[in-house]
Amino acid sequence: MKILIANRGEIAVRIIRACREMGLRTVAVYSDCDRTARHVLDADQALHIGPSEAAQSYLSVERIIDAAQRTGADAVHPGYGFLAENAAFARACRDARLTFIGPSPDAIALMGSKTAAREVAIRAGVPVVPGTEQPLDERVTDPEIARVANGVGFPLLVKAVAGGGGKGMRTVNDPSSLTAAVRTARSEARSAFGDGSIYLERRLVRARHIEIQLLGDQHGTIVPFVERECSIQRRHQKVVEESPSLAVSPELRRRIAAAAAAVARAVNYSNAGTIEFLLDESGSFYFLEMNTRLQVEHPVTEMVTSTDLVQWQIRIARGEHLDLDPEQVLSAHGHAIECRIYAEDPDLGFMPSPGLIRGLRPAAGPGVRDDGGVSVGFTVPVFYDSMIAKLVAWGASRPLAIDRMSRALREYQVLGIKTTIPFFLWLMQRAEYIEGRYDTTYLDRLLTERNGTSFNELTEDDEEVAAIAAALDAYLRATAHTGAVNGSEVATGWKRSARYEALRG
Amino acid sequence: MTFDIEINGRLRTISIERTTAGFYRAIVDGHPRVIDGARVGSFGLSLLFDGVDGSSRNVQVAPGSERGELLIGVDGKSVSAVLNGRRTGRAAADGGSQADGEQTLVAPMPGRIVRLLVARGDEVAARQPIVVVEAMKMENELRSPKTGRVKEIAVGAGDSVEAGRVLAIIE
Repeated sequence: MKILIANRGEIAVRIIRACREMGLRTVAVYSDCDRTARHVLDADQALHIGPSEAAQSYLSVERIIDAAQRTGADAVHPGYGFLAENAAFARACRDARLTFIGPSPDAIALMGSKTAAREVAIRAGVPVVPGTEQPLDERVTDPEIARVANGVGFPLLVKAVAGGGGKGMRTVNDPSSLTAAVRTARSEARSAFGDGSIYLERRLVRARHIEIQLLGDQHGTIVPFVERECSIQRRHQKVVEESPSLAVSPELRRRIAAAAAAVARAVNYSNAGTIEFLLDESGSFYFLEMNTRLQVEHPVTEMVTSTDLVQWQIRIARGEHLDLDPEQVLSAHGHAIECRIYAEDPDLGFMPSPGLIRGLRPAAGPGVRDDGGVSVGFTVPVFYDSMIAKLVAWGASRPLAIDRMSRALREYQVLGIKTTIPFFLWLMQRAEYIEGRYDTTYLDRLLTERNGTSFNELTEDDEEVAAIAAALDAYLRATAHTGAVNGSEVATGWKRSARYEALRG
Repeated sequence: MTFDIEINGRLRTISIERTTAGFYRAIVDGHPRVIDGARVGSFGLSLLFDGVDGSSRNVQVAPGSERGELLIGVDGKSVSAVLNGRRTGRAAADGGSQADGEQTLVAPMPGRIVRLLVARGDEVAARQPIVVVEAMKMENELRSPKTGRVKEIAVGAGDSVEAGRVLAIIE
């Protein structure tokens, strides 16, 4: 069996690793700027599919199907992002007699509409967050939206019907900022998903984001996993995920998992998927949406349940029966935390920081997993999502996992571009994070309070070490050209006396 | 050899001399320290400090984006150091909210101008959003480096900009 990976970056590398372990051959596809990207270097075969702009390469159904046929691939893994939740792509794979490693095109289409997915949940008897039941397309006027918004109540969220990954989403605290928020959400949704339709949803106060990973085979078996908590979000984008959640008791876990399985069963779901919920302070949970794909945060589930979700995706697509022990995967062994390492400068408002990676030494050692997607000499392009690695730490308990993550972050070296590592180092020391006292608005509030304070402030001692290193580096570069590096340099009289003076002083 | 090194706005004068092979005497603002220093790969520097604890520090030094700028990595954090000169442009704007005179707002990466949030002549506060740039699939707000008045807006909505392009001038 040969698998074409219709993706790039760390997820393509992750899938290649699973294929290698299963003895399957892999085909990478790449755009102009990705010639030396890691997924190209790691795959068994690699095919150029177009220019750097995603629309003409990683988002081109036609070019990817063509690449699969030319290389004789039997199956296509879409990863996440790009075409992963595109029903037309899944259908095109099927029509080209390629196995799509994911759910059926119908399930993708149905759950891809956030409003249709809410209806499915309601019919399955699962509570949903109060909101508009019909999509509001671009023809709906501002006064009309304002009227609907009053019915939903403030604060509310404006969300893209075709949305995902926090894109096309805005919080509105009062009616006066509604129109502007709708405009931005529509514009982001149009450029990210090609559809500016939105819907409105009540913003629950102090809610936590809890989600249930599940697998379904093609024979009707659905297995839900122990929950993940993804409440640490910046501008609705998850940045830290963990499993299990401190807020979920074993009894609540059973109820949420049963609700998730009911939604999946209602759409005859097969392959990997995730049902997202909001959990309020009273312990009530509400269906948010379903992601019909593998998720970025899948490693934390793998770490606490000792399963390989990507391998299972492939086995399910081949028609195998799910023979996991449902009790075992519904309980966590230890605790796992994931930090998404982005090429962003946290000291510049998390501005993207693309560019040449000059040095790279990922963290390693006990309990640490680095799902990296870049290597030295690669230029992080401006065209795609800026995540360069997922760093995961496992510990026997949550405090041990946090200590391990802090250790791993200190070890992780990326040179040439800015990353979010200093930000995570800071976050891992916050009392609220350590004690688990946070909700989905925690991080944005905390960042506002900091008002731009640097995440890279060094202690007096460390700053002096950095300064000495800079000076020594300059000295070594200057003397390297004079042939003095091999210890042949003899201090001249005036140098020696100057030093002597300085030491006395 | 003597160097002026500026990190986080603080200037240190550091003299480096070799003593024996691999050993250096660094005089930092008049205080001497003896260091066993060794290059590790292209960018690594291992520093073993002489003293009671003999502390071992592993530092990465890589060239920065501006002339004379070095990026120094210490235990997961990263700071910029300027060698023998004063920082200019963006590096100055980063820490210059109290700075006098004109400050320019430059594009830190290539992207597309989505919206302008202020107009020429507007009074702005330090860190007030000035322009929204789309890059890497996200809309990013670029903020004012100082409190002042918008002297000039150099771009329009829809423009594509390269890294380093001046977007606005605040006076």
